[in-house]
Amino acid sequence: MEQKAEHLTDLVARDLDAGFTELVRIHGGAVHSFLHRVCGSRSDADDLGQETFLRAYSALLRYSAQRRRDLRLRAWLMTIAMNVWRNHVRSSHRRPESLLQLDDSDEMCASDRPGPEEFASHADDRRRLIAALAELSEKHRISVVLRHVVGMSYAEVAEVQGCPVGTAKAQVSRAVGELRQLLAAAAVPSRGLSR
Amino acid sequence: MTGRDADGRAVRETVIRALRALAPASGPGFALDVLRRAGIAPERYDTYVREGTAAGALFVAFGRRGVTGAALRHSGLEAAGFEASYRARTGRSAVPTATPLPGLRSALRTGRVGQVPVETGGLGPLERAVLHAVREIPTGELRPIGWVVRQARLPELPVQAVLDVLGRNPVPVLIPCHRVTYDDGTPCDASCPPWAGDRLRAAEGLDMQLLEDFGRRGLRLLGCAVTRVCCHPTCARVRSVPVSLQQSFRTAQEARQAGFLLCPDCRPAAP
Repeated sequence: MEQKAEHLTDLVARDLDAGFTELVRIHGGAVHSFLHRVCGSRSDADDLGQETFLRAYSALLRYSAQRRRDLRLRAWLMTIAMNVWRNHVRSSHRRPESLLQLDDSDEMCASDRPGPEEFASHADDRRRLIAALAELSEKHRISVVLRHVVGMSYAEVAEVQGCPVGTAKAQVSRAVGELRQLLAAAAVPSRGLSR
Repeated sequence: MTGRDADGRAVRETVIRALRALAPASGPGFALDVLRRAGIAPERYDTYVREGTAAGALFVAFGRRGVTGAALRHSGLEAAGFEASYRARTGRSAVPTATPLPGLRSALRTGRVGQVPVETGGLGPLERAVLHAVREIPTGELRPIGWVVRQARLPELPVQAVLDVLGRNPVPVLIPCHRVTYDDGTPCDASCPPWAGDRLRAAEGLDMQLLEDFGRRGLRLLGCAVTRVCCHPTCARVRSVPVSLQQSFRTAQEARQAGFLLCPDCRPAAP
């Protein structure tokens, strides 16, 4: 991963269009996942993701080769994505959409698609988890999504959130604890995630 | 540690695992839309689709001039792995798209893969010659390595060198290496796992049990007693000939001596 990141920053510094293409290929999915899970809507994530990368491209055009080389690209992109989302929330005064508006049916990975019963149970668990995520505070939701959905290190989460690593760890831990409580409270006769 | 602590930790782990499973892949057009909107010239990258085949999903990358790479999806190779190996091989990025190359889907459905343009510019002359010969093998037919080297006009090329080229086939299925056999009729399957080759051949209607029995008896060619034409046993000319009219041969020489002509379509031996 380290080597890959180094190769990518080098490419972005040497040849912006080729580097940006690789940036989108490698990190497009992570940016989209992050936005999808903090804003709760796939179509909003599409739009906000586009805006994130366009902003990133404009910024890279302005930066010197050395400044591009010094970037920690994933954390930098997630910071832009977070700001794009915050601006979106501010301008639309929206709360994350409720689970009832979500359609996660297309998200099951074809390779590990379960049988009908298991699928129903998984889908139900997913819906409850997504609803619980929407109940978290903005800071906690962002931290837990960056850490456990996107798979960033605590140092990267701290960089995006602009806080010490210890604070990021505490935010993630509290968020997981809150999710646990929310899921337990929402639990119909204990099953799956609520166990 | 108390039982209660252990339970609490287990639930946290379950929540974390479920969060990880929430990371969905973005839609196939997301990255492409970003590149288009940013104004990146289409010549700077390739696109790819995931299509179904008898051997499972096939990733197919293409540029403006045709297919530039393909790989069967299997346990060790998902979309991210395909993108990375494509980048390593070609030095170019491939981003997913929902729109396949025109004609690709029907070619995969019918097995007539020769009609799909394949970009072989990055290959050496030897690789190009061998793989172009392989592309000439019609759907539902097999050809031995000896035929491939003759078609490639490289009759001196050792078997191992041919296998190496087939093993590096950058476009399996569309350059149908699953249709190449050793001279005894056993499939080489140098560019895809044998199970995948078996499925592809079965989907093309090839009865490998019958063909392997034929090869085990030392037989290589099949002729029609009425037309007196002798072919590779899978050639379309001879496949539908009733068993009572079939005549088998060990060599082209033997067929010639029996008064048979060599098939001009499947060309079982040098003229």
